[in-house]
Amino acid sequence: MRCERCGALIGNSYVRFNGTLLCDNCARDLKIDEIFRRQNSMLEQSFPSLSEIPSVFSLGSELDFANAKIRCPRCGMTLKDIDSSGQLGCIECYNTFNETILKNILKRQGSSEYLGRKPGKAAETTSNVTEPVPGQIPDAPAAKDVSAKTPAQAAGEEKPQKVQPDAAQDDKAILDRLRKADLGTVPDDVLEDGMKRAAAAEDYDLAARLRDELKSRKEG
Amino acid sequence: MWYENEGRNTDVVLSTKVIINRNIKGFPFPPKMSDADRENVMGMARQAAGSMGLNFVRTDELDDNAKKDLYDQFFSGYAFLNSNAKTGYLLGKTEGLGVIINSTDHLSIISMVPGNDAALAYKRADDLAAKFEQCMDIAFSDRFGFLTSQIKTVGTGVQIMATLALPGIEKTQGAVQVLGQRAEKYDWQMIPMTRPDGIRENGIYILSNLATLGLTEQELIDRAAKVIDDIIKLEDSCRKNICTKKKAVIEDQYYRAYAVLKYCRRIEVPEVLTLVNWLRLGQKYIDTSDADIDFKTINKLTQKVRRNYDDYARKGARKRDASAERAALVRDIMRGGDRT
Ligand SMILES: [Zn+2]
Ligand SMILES: [Zn+2]
Repeated sequence: MRCERCGALIGNSYVRFNGTLLCDNCARDLKIDEIFRRQNSMLEQSFPSLSEIPSVFSLGSELDFANAKIRCPRCGMTLKDIDSSGQLGCIECYNTFNETILKNILKRQGSSEYLGRKPGKAAETTSNVTEPVPGQIPDAPAAKDVSAKTPAQAAGEEKPQKVQPDAAQDDKAILDRLRKADLGTVPDDVLEDGMKRAAAAEDYDLAARLRDELKSRKEG
Repeated sequence: MWYENEGRNTDVVLSTKVIINRNIKGFPFPPKMSDADRENVMGMARQAAGSMGLNFVRTDELDDNAKKDLYDQFFSGYAFLNSNAKTGYLLGKTEGLGVIINSTDHLSIISMVPGNDAALAYKRADDLAAKFEQCMDIAFSDRFGFLTSQIKTVGTGVQIMATLALPGIEKTQGAVQVLGQRAEKYDWQMIPMTRPDGIRENGIYILSNLATLGLTEQELIDRAAKVIDDIIKLEDSCRKNICTKKKAVIEDQYYRAYAVLKYCRRIEVPEVLTLVNWLRLGQKYIDTSDADIDFKTINKLTQKVRRNYDDYARKGARKRDASAERAALVRDIMRGGDRT
């Protein structure tokens, strides 16, 4: 298990407050360790939803990421909302907050690199279970497919760059970044702006990609 | 219902569930959706359903029987089934496989199978997910993978959950901790099962994955199989150990539980589950020749009693009849019958 606030691995000693798992340090930081400390008693925990947390975290005013001012331009979610609930409001939240809070929260998984499949085709997964337990009727064994699924992404793939509207930058740099960008996380206005620039620069291929992305959102 | 079918390791693993969350580009996530957005997404889901052989139903148009069925089939929450939040279901021919619309995400594909089989549950869900991805613009980014409403599921968007009956581990001092650490090593989490009404279900635990990034779908399934196998081995050796060392106690508890369940006239859910734990604990390792039940009966009892929608739907005077009706259901299952 990992601390849901700082991402550190948690050993035997932890505090669970309203369903959020905290390490000793974080519990002390938030001044809730004395009241809510329980020792190893997984048995008596109840697990209410994370939505009950916000009030608690607002106590810890020293939290540098509990910032209510940074907002998603599309849905209005704040960094503070997201930090306290883990709940995002829209796709663009991923773009708005990705540099700060996401890194922080994704720590709880130990990795933030996506290795899953691409959309549109089911993963070619196989069952590796070989032995049925004696005395039980086994299922029809799943076909042992040898075509091991390779990770969808090559290891050397470039990290997509964050695309931001910036008047000071020239077309070339902006278009360059858009070409490499992960369009799924680019805000609407940047796509629109980029489409005009791409058309002006006669990069019709890029312009079409941006148009398709925008179109898919609007029709969506 | 699907949980009555044969499955692997059903003496320990009651069921395996896979949820795959997907969202459609162009709409905010459910917590920020307008009513018009919700109607739109339901319309799109309904359209897609036609080509997948699934039927669309609106939650706010369900009658009591349909709600009862969905509660039994997916363990959908009572509150969810009875709210008017413009949600819906896509249901097909396969029991335990369906799609919930506008719940946590636009599309939550749910696949439940009896016993220990994450690979099968995943495959069924993933096939549906891929079909949605082919006919809709699904939110995806190269960096994060499938974009979900909650940060904890972004990536593969896949959650695997096994419902485990662990009376042996629970009754062995220190074993729950060992198990928690074991699961944690693979970034899995064990939590005791708690009913929506706050009652903890003795001996029943939910194991679920924490990681949705940094691994492929195959790795996720392989890890599930590994973690669950470890738990099965630990539970089995705990049961064996208790039944050997405390033979007289367990035999006594087993037959007492057997008798109460077989003849009771009024009984509450926690008591049933407590008694069922003694049966489960002794079934394989003590002399059960005076009793006439097997793991199939024990599992059916566990599932039927836990999944009774009427426990929540009843009000006032009718609620008082519940313990008598429950006792009748329990007796019937103990005698190999089936009222429902
Ligand atoms: Zn911490
Ligand atoms: Zn947003």
